Amino acid sequence: MLEAETLKKMYYDMVFVRRFEDKVDEYSKKGFIPGFVHLGTGQEAVQVGAVYALKPTDYKYPDHRCHGAISLFGTDKKAVMAEIFGKATGINGGRGGSMHVADLKVRNMGNNGIQGSNVVSALGPAFYAKYKNEPDVTAVFMGDGTLGEGACHESLNLAATWKLPVVYILANNEYAIATHYSEAYNIKQLATWADGYNVPHEVVDGNDVVAVYEAVQRAAEHARSGKGPMLLELMTYRWQGHFAGDPAAYRPQEEVDEWINNRCPIKKLRDQLAGQGMTDAEFDQVQADVNAEVDALVEYAMSSPDPKPEDAMLHVYAGRKVEVHDA
Amino acid sequence: MPRKLSFSKALNEALHQSMEQDENVFIIGEDVAKMGGDFGITQGIWQKWPNRAYDTPLSEQAIIGLCSSAAALGLRPVAEIMFADFLGVCFDQIVNNAAKMNFMYNGEASAAITVRASTGGGIRCAYHHSQCVEPWLMNVPGLVVVAPSTPYEAKGLLNAAIRDNNPVIFLEHKGLYNVKGEVPKEYYELPLYQAEVKRKGTDVTVVATMMMTGLALKAAEVLEKEGISVEVIDPRTLFPLDKQTIIDSVGNTGRLVVVQEGPQFMGFGAELGAMAASEVLFEYLKAPVKRITSEDVPTAYAPCMEDFILPNLDKVLQGIRSTMAY
Repeated sequence: MLEAETLKKMYYDMVFVRRFEDKVDEYSKKGFIPGFVHLGTGQEAVQVGAVYALKPTDYKYPDHRCHGAISLFGTDKKAVMAEIFGKATGINGGRGGSMHVADLKVRNMGNNGIQGSNVVSALGPAFYAKYKNEPDVTAVFMGDGTLGEGACHESLNLAATWKLPVVYILANNEYAIATHYSEAYNIKQLATWADGYNVPHEVVDGNDVVAVYEAVQRAAEHARSGKGPMLLELMTYRWQGHFAGDPAAYRPQEEVDEWINNRCPIKKLRDQLAGQGMTDAEFDQVQADVNAEVDALVEYAMSSPDPKPEDAMLHVYAGRKVEVHDA
Repeated sequence: MPRKLSFSKALNEALHQSMEQDENVFIIGEDVAKMGGDFGITQGIWQKWPNRAYDTPLSEQAIIGLCSSAAALGLRPVAEIMFADFLGVCFDQIVNNAAKMNFMYNGEASAAITVRASTGGGIRCAYHHSQCVEPWLMNVPGLVVVAPSTPYEAKGLLNAAIRDNNPVIFLEHKGLYNVKGEVPKEYYELPLYQAEVKRKGTDVTVVATMMMTGLALKAAEVLEKEGISVEVIDPRTLFPLDKQTIIDSVGNTGRLVVVQEGPQFMGFGAELGAMAASEVLFEYLKAPVKRITSEDVPTAYAPCMEDFILPNLDKVLQGIRSTMAY
């Protein structure tokens, strides 16, 4: 059972993720954030629940809708926001941006612009832990769309056969850009895909942070105990379009309304905490504290310098320079 | 009496010695452990180090994905992709992940992997087991492409590739596996990123790789009798390229002939041609750049068709003669 204090921290972090994404959305639309950003609004329980269940020493492969989780892995949050803004102070010096935020110090192995790619990358740290006889598991975040890529087959098959400690966290938010998962797969419940590999799986309410936390913990312990991988399908929904600014006209409005009005993961936890005696004043204080924290991140990113353009030439090769072409 | 070893035995010896040197080195691939590899290059390793030799399913993406991330944490994987043609199956992992890892991690970690792959034609197995794929890889900053042409280089360059902190695609031409040459017994490395002048000459520079290096050297011998002095350069590391050695040579000879086994369009020779037409060399050129290559078609199965497609000694001789006659 989670203690009330932990639940309150989770609540704070979920509100934080929501606010973080809202601000990214706002500053993307204002033109301060380059490229496109994929928002995890509505999927806060997936990210917060998983982060709380994993150990800081576990390896993480976030997906491209994971700003929130990435901010909670232990990296300086300012450096995460600055990376999304493409600034010199970003955790990757502005080289990666929203879709490529990595921080080896906290074992965030980086998210990826190609969905299935990280699913096989996750075999690496899992293999490493086994090779070195270390107790760490590797968690890889993926979506319903990811499963369409063949790399998933190779990954799950090898992890299962070699008993590699991988936790597959499949956030089923129903849509891969505009295509509903029922139109992409011939199975109704994606988790059953793992049956073909003799890999245990669970379907979880992905908007219930406690359920997510407990399921990820079970899966991590399963993997840590040497029994091999486990797959979780977390049923959730993204409130926004595929990227900030996508009107998402491909989804029925009633469906969107239902998830926003009746299945909000933050409201779910709030109701639980209210039942345990948390007051409106306390909730207001959380929101005020979160607002101040996120505003400070945005302020930091906005006031940070751009990278030196010529620093793009760095780190292409280990131990070798790449020269700028002659004009 | 110096010891002679085949190209494939030289590779095998390099792997054994690299395994001995560093417990972070392991081998992984399809049939590399118990069987010792489809071409026998990894023989005897699993028997010595059963926990450091891994047979995988036919899962090229998983092999390269696993290796790249394990390497970022400090292991030194040596993966075998049985045929270079199969790099197509794991292209995403090589191009989008391994090649970008050092960049993504700000130089804190990289995909220090060695991907060995047999390459090249002449084995009568048609277009899925015969291609020279190096141009697929050389447009991707972050990758290293190494291609030895002698047993001595095979061993020294493979050891160096395993120690290098970048993702190295190590191309082994199948037609070279049985070629014998002098190979020192002890562990040694040859420098990556350095071209080798295989034969000194003054009239024309021939740049050739892998099997084509041997052809170029034969052509040079023949042409010496005709009074043509041919300089032969093997880049050995094709990418990033040691341009200076080639620039110095072409600056002296004023003529450039490139012999490459793969198709012509956008091949290695195209880049060398552009180099020769650039500001540093343009005024030194005495003749147009000549490329001796395969025809721009898939490798065909029937021996007479494959022979028609591939470069051969006559084509090389003709190319050099016509360059001299210009």
